[in-house]
Amino acid sequence: MTDVPFPNVPREDARQKVCGAPIFGADSPRPGLLHAALAVSTIPKGRILDIDTLAASATPGVRQVLTHQDLADLQLPGFLLGGYGFQNFQPLRSPDIAYRGQPIAVVVADTFEAATEAAALVRATYAAEAFCPTIDSPGVDIVDQADTPMGQFLTEPVAADADAAFAAAPIKVDIELKCPAQHQNPIELIATVAEWEGDTLIVHEGTQNAEGVRHGLARVLGIPAGQVEVISPFVGGGFGQKNSLQMQTALAAAASRRAGAPVKLVVPRTQLFQGASFRPASRHHVRLGADVSGTLLAAIHETDAQSSRIDFFPGEYAATSARLYGWSAFRGLHRLIRTDTQTPGFMRAPFEHPACFAMETAMDELAYAIGMDPVDLRLANDTILDPITKRPFSSRHAGTCLRRGAERFGWQARSAEPRSMRSADGSFVGWGVALGAYPGMMVSNVVRLTANSDGGVEIAMGAHEMGQGMRSVIAAVAGRKLRISPGAVTVVIGDTRAALQQPTAGSWGSASAALAIEAAADAMWKALAKLTPDGVVEGRSPSEILKAAARDSLDVETMVKPPGQPDDVFGLLRSGLVSRAGPVFDDCVSFSFIAHFVEVHVEPRLRRIRVPRVVSVADCGRVISPRTALSQVRGGVVWGIGAALREASETDPRYGGFLNADLAEYAIPVNADIGRIDVEFIDEPDGLLESGVKSLGEVSLCGVAPAIANAVFHATGRRLRELPIRIEHVM
Amino acid sequence: MQPFTYVRASNVGDAVKALSRGAKLLAGGTTLYDLMKLRIERPERIIDINHLGELKHFDTSGERELVFGALARMSEVAADAGLVRDYPAISESLWRAASQQLRNMASLGGNLLQRTRCPYFRGGEPYACNKRDPGSGCAAAEGLDRGQALLGASPSCSAVYPGDFAAALVAFDAEIDVVGPGGERVLPFEELHREPADTPQKETTLEPGEMIVRIRIPVTPLGRASTFLKVRDRESYAFALASAAVALEMDGDVVRDARVAVGGLATRPWRARAAERLLIGRRFDESAARAAGEAALDGAIPGRSNAFRIELGIRTVTDALMTARQRA
Ligand SMILES: Cc1cc2nc3c(=O)[nH]c(=O)nc-3n(C[C@H](O)[C@H](O)[C@H](O)COP(=O)(O)OP(=O)(O)OC[C@H]3O[C@@H](n4cnc5c(N)ncnc54)[C@H](O)[C@@H]3O)c2cc1C
Repeated sequence: MTDVPFPNVPREDARQKVCGAPIFGADSPRPGLLHAALAVSTIPKGRILDIDTLAASATPGVRQVLTHQDLADLQLPGFLLGGYGFQNFQPLRSPDIAYRGQPIAVVVADTFEAATEAAALVRATYAAEAFCPTIDSPGVDIVDQADTPMGQFLTEPVAADADAAFAAAPIKVDIELKCPAQHQNPIELIATVAEWEGDTLIVHEGTQNAEGVRHGLARVLGIPAGQVEVISPFVGGGFGQKNSLQMQTALAAAASRRAGAPVKLVVPRTQLFQGASFRPASRHHVRLGADVSGTLLAAIHETDAQSSRIDFFPGEYAATSARLYGWSAFRGLHRLIRTDTQTPGFMRAPFEHPACFAMETAMDELAYAIGMDPVDLRLANDTILDPITKRPFSSRHAGTCLRRGAERFGWQARSAEPRSMRSADGSFVGWGVALGAYPGMMVSNVVRLTANSDGGVEIAMGAHEMGQGMRSVIAAVAGRKLRISPGAVTVVIGDTRAALQQPTAGSWGSASAALAIEAAADAMWKALAKLTPDGVVEGRSPSEILKAAARDSLDVETMVKPPGQPDDVFGLLRSGLVSRAGPVFDDCVSFSFIAHFVEVHVEPRLRRIRVPRVVSVADCGRVISPRTALSQVRGGVVWGIGAALREASETDPRYGGFLNADLAEYAIPVNADIGRIDVEFIDEPDGLLESGVKSLGEVSLCGVAPAIANAVFHATGRRLRELPIRIEHVM
Repeated sequence: MQPFTYVRASNVGDAVKALSRGAKLLAGGTTLYDLMKLRIERPERIIDINHLGELKHFDTSGERELVFGALARMSEVAADAGLVRDYPAISESLWRAASQQLRNMASLGGNLLQRTRCPYFRGGEPYACNKRDPGSGCAAAEGLDRGQALLGASPSCSAVYPGDFAAALVAFDAEIDVVGPGGERVLPFEELHREPADTPQKETTLEPGEMIVRIRIPVTPLGRASTFLKVRDRESYAFALASAAVALEMDGDVVRDARVAVGGLATRPWRARAAERLLIGRRFDESAARAAGEAALDGAIPGRSNAFRIELGIRTVTDALMTARQRA
């Protein structure tokens, strides 16, 4: 464990990015590049009876139009259990239509314009079937998660008899809440450039999971994984939408193979809404029982979450809400609602944001029911033991986050009564607080570390740069361990040719990188020691040792796995599957925490809701890269403001699909929506890793929405349990 | 994209001559290209008018009227110091629209002819839309109607006219100069847009082959105490849930003259003369402003989820009038 904080230095690729130098997947220039576009289904469910591609084929510049009649040999990628795909359904493999907007044809042409025009001319006739597009659709299929194949891997968190404890509790909160479907909308669209070099397929694509794309693609195309390379040095935002094989990649690859030329397929925003993964809608039923002094006696969190007819996209909501406080009894339950949509997926804090919204709204209601300050209620129920496993947290500074945040925010000046605070312009002022939590996880890695006598160090490993600053983290940890400047470290990531890749997701990127680099650097020092006459490396730099030994360079390859993982994780790694460990480890449970304090203003007449300031204090273990960490938290808060007040993917139940499918109508926040965001880090090292790091990217979003909803209650006296909260709800 | 021919006009006469059936004028392209990509506009010929220098000028210093060439860019007009000072409602209606990038491209003439944001219109197939495909029906009628019009709708169409600038123009009695095959004519701006009735595909009273060359606004002392207030789902870069362009001329506490128009609520730019009549000659206070707001929304017909925009519209007018009063 290290006691010294990391310095605040510019991010590794800052200059490159500002200068526009990075080449993103779809930017990859290739001689003879052809362009592809998708024709999509205009019905939400059924079968294609007939597909007419004559007009499309006749469009000048069109090379080929492929339909299910051409691509029936594609295989399924598989879903979570042993799979690679974001859904276990590959469009164009059959005439079946599973959701509106599903691709039904790929057009390949000399130009983007010709491909787009021709795609619009593809006409299909269908046999339509009845469908259930939303979680509220009459007759929609609801299944207990325990009864699905996911059930054996995801056990419901349970401690003692929560129902009995709740029934006996003198003070009760019993509420239902709702969160909408949402789409990530990274600025980089999902896109693929596919090119065959002989039998080898080279894919350029922004992905958080190059190895998964490689193996998934191999499976869909029926070729050995060794014949696929996936190159993704930069991702223009992923947020979970790009963490597995998407539907367009195999289509671009198959089209390229037939055309004998590289093919580029960029999925336009509107099609992406209908065809890429998204945050499932969810309903929550939360019950809290407490005694009059504010001691929590029981919590029950039941969730009905959207999944697809195709797959059982699981819910893990209660796994996080269960860890918020030290209740003696807890029960979680997950049901899945099978809608006729593409399969939903892991959008930033996929379960944890809605789970924290549900539980932290309930906590605020409890505070008011007891007549206790919301911060005090939370502090009174802080814990150092995980209430589910009874193991200690690897570290937990939730209480410190709350105390420091309260002080920084000026919480003691709050008057508890709703509608009791006003700003100079007459707006109602609301102050709200909420806690967020997110699991600490890690994945294994095989790292190749090369030290050169000129002082440079190269690292090739499994990780992806999605804008979060991954190269900065790797360089910082390597620099410290190898006693060199981070600037001397060259990082090669997101490239299956250089190293085995693991998905960079679940906020495990930094911790996994640190775990890998720490072990690799130790191995390097050991190897260097062998080059010295006395075996002493202290006081010497790698390059000094190499020069003294007349060596140009030294290479070490290290296999690293998280604590407690079996050796066969490297088998998973080699076959492109996730090897995640945590948050429950042998002797501890790892979670990150954050406390958000929010001020909202609600205008007296127009009732516009504004968020002029937010104070967020995060416990993410040791902060490795202060600058990019700060950006993560600010970005998370912006996401939370969007989630609380703006964003919802809307479905007209008569049609299915998503109606507001562009950036004008799907209202992500704009700069003018964002006020001051004050961020503080506890920056205390966690015990699991030498570098002391835990997770950060996703916890930063958790708790923002309930803090805002609680502030809106404080400002208006209205308890709003459905997101987003819009002007009509407070008028 | 569907093939089209491109013609560059070098003067207004050329442009009008080229403006045959199936042709479209191209100004900033921010509406036209957008709708072409959605395959809703499918012109066979595009007539680029961006080189008609004579239409780019605007002059806000005249003694009788303000004159804006149809190609004046939104961003330049919005920033005009004279307008900001003497007609804040006009300047505000421009700079609260779209984004800076769009305003740098977009022209005033094109702005007036922007088309509805109704998702069923823009969504194309498979949604029925009488505006896009006359006679096909209206998917919005039984659909998600949070954003649909409350004023001026018909059974065949409830699509909102979305432009902000138009609210200010209709409030200030603007006129437009139109050139067509038959020569030039003057059209009160209020008569440019039509209510949908049972022909929602006919959005304006422009004759085939006519183009807008100028917008003129008579000079009025009402300009100074004016404002454009826009309420939307986020603070910028969004269309109005409700908006109001209002102006007051005061005689002490008594309203000598008033202008009230609302935006984002109706199928066309909507002047609320009943609201003006209520205000004129009356002592101004918050209840008078509220009464004007109620008059402005008189006759509004709610759907399933847009009723809140009636009350929002009333409050928007009220709030805007309170601001205008402070400026008087
Ligand atoms: C994402 C987005 C957000 C937006 N937000 C807003 C907003 O908040 N508020 C708002 O008011 N607007 C908004 N707009 C609309 C924008 O203001 C209009 O697109 C713009 O003003 C159109 O001007 P243009 O010069 O680009 O028109 P063009 O696209 O060139 O033309 C539009 C139409 O007018 C015709 N035309 C152009 N000039 C003439 C002329 N002189 N005579 C006759 N016909 C002509 C064209 O043939 C075409 O049919 C938004 C647009 C977008 C894309």
